[in-house]
Amino acid sequence: MPSLSPERLVITGWGCVSALGEDADSTWPRLIRGEHVRGPITCFPVEGCRVTEGAEAPLPPVNWLTPKQKRRLGRASRLALPAAREALEHAGLLTADSQCTLSELELSLSTTACSMERIEAFVRQIWVPPASHGNKTQSLRVATYQSQQQIKDLQTHLNFSGSSTILSNACAGGANAIGHASDLIRSGMADIVLTGGYDPLCELVFCGFDSLQSLAPDLCRPFDLHRNGLMLGEGAGFLVLESESHAARRGAPIRGILAGYGHSTDTFHLTQPASDGAPLERAMRAALARAGLSPRDVGYINAHGTGTPFNDRAEASAFNRVFGEDLSGLKLSSTKAAIGHTLGAAGSLEAIFCLQSLQTGQIPPQLHTTNPEPLVASLLAKPGDTLAKKAALSVNLGFGGSNAALLFTTP
Amino acid sequence: MSQDLSILSWGVVSPGGTGVASLSNPAAWPKTLVPENAHPGREHPVAYVAPETLPDRWRLRPRFRRASPLSHFMVEAAAQALEAQPGIDRSRLGMICATSVGCSLYSVRFYRQFQKEGRRFASPLLFPETVTNSPLSHLASELNTGGPVYSQIGDKSCWSNALRTAACWLKNGDADSVLVLGAEEFEPHELDAFRAMRWLDRPYTRPFAEGAGAVLLASGSHPNAPKLTQIADGFCFHSLSAGVQTAQKCLGKFPPEIPVCDSATGWIETVAQKTHATRPGFGPLPNLAHEAYCASCSWDTIRAAAYLSTHPSEALVVPYWGLALQVGAALLSGSQFCPPPGGSQPL
Repeated sequence: MPSLSPERLVITGWGCVSALGEDADSTWPRLIRGEHVRGPITCFPVEGCRVTEGAEAPLPPVNWLTPKQKRRLGRASRLALPAAREALEHAGLLTADSQCTLSELELSLSTTACSMERIEAFVRQIWVPPASHGNKTQSLRVATYQSQQQIKDLQTHLNFSGSSTILSNACAGGANAIGHASDLIRSGMADIVLTGGYDPLCELVFCGFDSLQSLAPDLCRPFDLHRNGLMLGEGAGFLVLESESHAARRGAPIRGILAGYGHSTDTFHLTQPASDGAPLERAMRAALARAGLSPRDVGYINAHGTGTPFNDRAEASAFNRVFGEDLSGLKLSSTKAAIGHTLGAAGSLEAIFCLQSLQTGQIPPQLHTTNPEPLVASLLAKPGDTLAKKAALSVNLGFGGSNAALLFTTP
Repeated sequence: MSQDLSILSWGVVSPGGTGVASLSNPAAWPKTLVPENAHPGREHPVAYVAPETLPDRWRLRPRFRRASPLSHFMVEAAAQALEAQPGIDRSRLGMICATSVGCSLYSVRFYRQFQKEGRRFASPLLFPETVTNSPLSHLASELNTGGPVYSQIGDKSCWSNALRTAACWLKNGDADSVLVLGAEEFEPHELDAFRAMRWLDRPYTRPFAEGAGAVLLASGSHPNAPKLTQIADGFCFHSLSAGVQTAQKCLGKFPPEIPVCDSATGWIETVAQKTHATRPGFGPLPNLAHEAYCASCSWDTIRAAAYLSTHPSEALVVPYWGLALQVGAALLSGSQFCPPPGGSQPL
C-alpha cells in the first residue's frame, strides 16, 4: 500500500454565485431565512416547453475587468470568475488588484454545459445565417465555446497558471471535483487546489430535462410524497483546499476540514438510481471510513434531493440504512428547493453550505415539503434548527450513475 | 516519491479498423468528403470509423442499442484492453475518459430536432445520450467494473491530465488498475468551427478522424510491460508568442537525450517544429496526421507503448499538443530501459 499524506485537508476559503445572491455572504442568510427563487426563464426562449420557470442567478458585475474583457466572457465565466475570486480573497490569496498571489495554482473543476449558450448561438447561426453575418463574431464564438475556456478565463483574469482538470460527471461533478482535489493533495501531487463547479442555464439542457418531464411545474418539493420534479438553476461555487502544513506555512485561517470523500458508480440505469440507494450508501460509507467517523458524528446532511420521485426515494433508503440506528441530532435538507438544481455546480455550492453550517451552527430549512417521505420525515430541517454535532455531509447523484459524498468537520 | 506504472495492455478503434495494427498506415484510411454546413460546396476529407469494422457484439446489448457512436468506439477499445488481461479484478478497476467534443453527434441532433419541430417535441430518448458521462456509464454497466469513474473534458492536453488522474488513483490505492480512454466522434459542425477559426485550407490542416484508444495501467513493474514513467501536465500559454517557450519548458521536464515523437496536428505544428528543433526526433513512429483530438493522443500513446514492448531498452516522450494553448507530455519507457543519472522525475 503506498504511503499517503496523513495530513488533514483544510478549507481556507470559499465563494459562490447562486440564485439567492452574488456571493456567499449574501446567499447564506437568505437560505437560512427560507427564501427561494423561482421565475420565468429570460436568458433563452422557452416557448413550447412544458415548464418555463427556473432559478436564474444574478450575474455579478466583475468590475475589475475592462468592458472589453467583460463582453468576451460567456455566461459560465460570468458565474465562475466572481465565485473563484471570492474564494481566493476569502483564503487570503488575492491582491488588492484582484490578482492571485500564487503564480502556480492547480484547478479541479466541474461543469456539464461549459459555454453551451455560445455553442447554441454558433450552430443556430450556421443553420440560419443573419443578413450581416460576420466571420469575426463566429470566430470569437468558436474560440470561447470550448470546454477549457473557463480555465483560460480564470487563469487570465486572476493571473495564475498550472495543471487543470475539468470533470464532467453530471450532477455529482461538483462534489467529484472537490474530491479529486483532495486526492491530488493526498497523493502529494499538489499542496493547494482551487476547486469548484459552475453551470449556466442553457437551452439544450433545459429542453432536455423538460423532455424527460423531470421539471416541476410548480414548486420543487424534495422528499415530499407529492413531489413532481426538479427546478433547474445556475451558479458557481469554489473552495480553496490545501494541506494543513501549506495553510500553516502561509498563516491562512482554517475554516473547515474535508475529512472524507467517497464515490461510487451506479450501473442500474442511465438516468435512474438503484431504488434501494445501495451505490449511494457505498459512497457515504467510504467517506465516513476515510474520515474515521461514525454516522453518529454527522449532524447535518445536505441531500441531493432533486424532488424527482426516483432520486428522493433512493436517497431516503440510503440515508435510512446508514444513519437509521441513531437519528437523534441529525437534520437533513435539500437546498435545491431554494436555488434550483445547478448540475455541475451543485456539489460545490452544497459543500459550501455544509461548511457555513458548521461555521455558524445554522441549518438551511427544508422548503416546500408538507407531506414528507416517511423514511426521512423526522430528519427534515425546520426553520431555526441548529447543528448539534461536529460533521456535515454533502451527497450528490448524477446521470450516468455518478455518486459522491463529501464529509466536512469543524477545524 | 517514485512510482512505476505499467501499461499492461491497450485497445484501439480507428478508421483503419480495430487493434493497434489499424494505426500502422493512416494514409490508407478510407476518406469521405463531408461538406461544411454553412458552405455545402466546400468539402473536406474525413476518416470515419466504418460501422462494419466494429464487432457485432455490442450492437444489441440493451445499453448500446441507442448509444452514440462514441460509446461503441469506447466499449470496443476498452474490451480489447481488458481481454488482453483476463486476470484484472474489475471490481477494483477505475475508468477515465478524456474527450474534447464528447457526445457531439447526439447533442447536435437533439438540438436541431427541437429547433426545427418545436421544444415540446424534444426527444427524451436522445437527451440522456448527450450527457458527457453517458458513454462511461454504459461501459461501467457492460464491463461490470466497480472502481471510480471520471469523464474529463478539455483540449488534447486533457489526455495527459487523465493519465495523471490515473496515477493519482493508483498511488492513493483507490483502484488496482485504471483504464484510460481517449475517444472522439466526428460531427460535421467541426468543419464550420475550424472554418470560423480560419484553420481550414491551411498547409497544416489534417483530415479529421474519429475513434478511441484505451490503455490499461497498473502500479508496479510487470514483466515485459512498457512503463509510464513521467507525466508533464498543465503547461498553458495565453499567446502564440509564448507557445514555444512554454512547450520547451514542458519538454524540458524530460531527460534531453530521449527522443520526442512527432504528434502535433493543426496550427500548433509550427510551435512543435520550433520546439523539436532543440531535441532529437523519433523517426520510426511518423505523425498520424489526422485530427481526432483526445483519440489521437491515445493512439500516439498506444503506438509508443507497442513500439517499446518490442524495443524494451528504449524510451520515448509523447507530447500532447492542445489546440487551446495547453501542452502536456508523457515519458514512456521499455521494461529494460535504464534512466540516465538524474533523469526522469517521478510521477
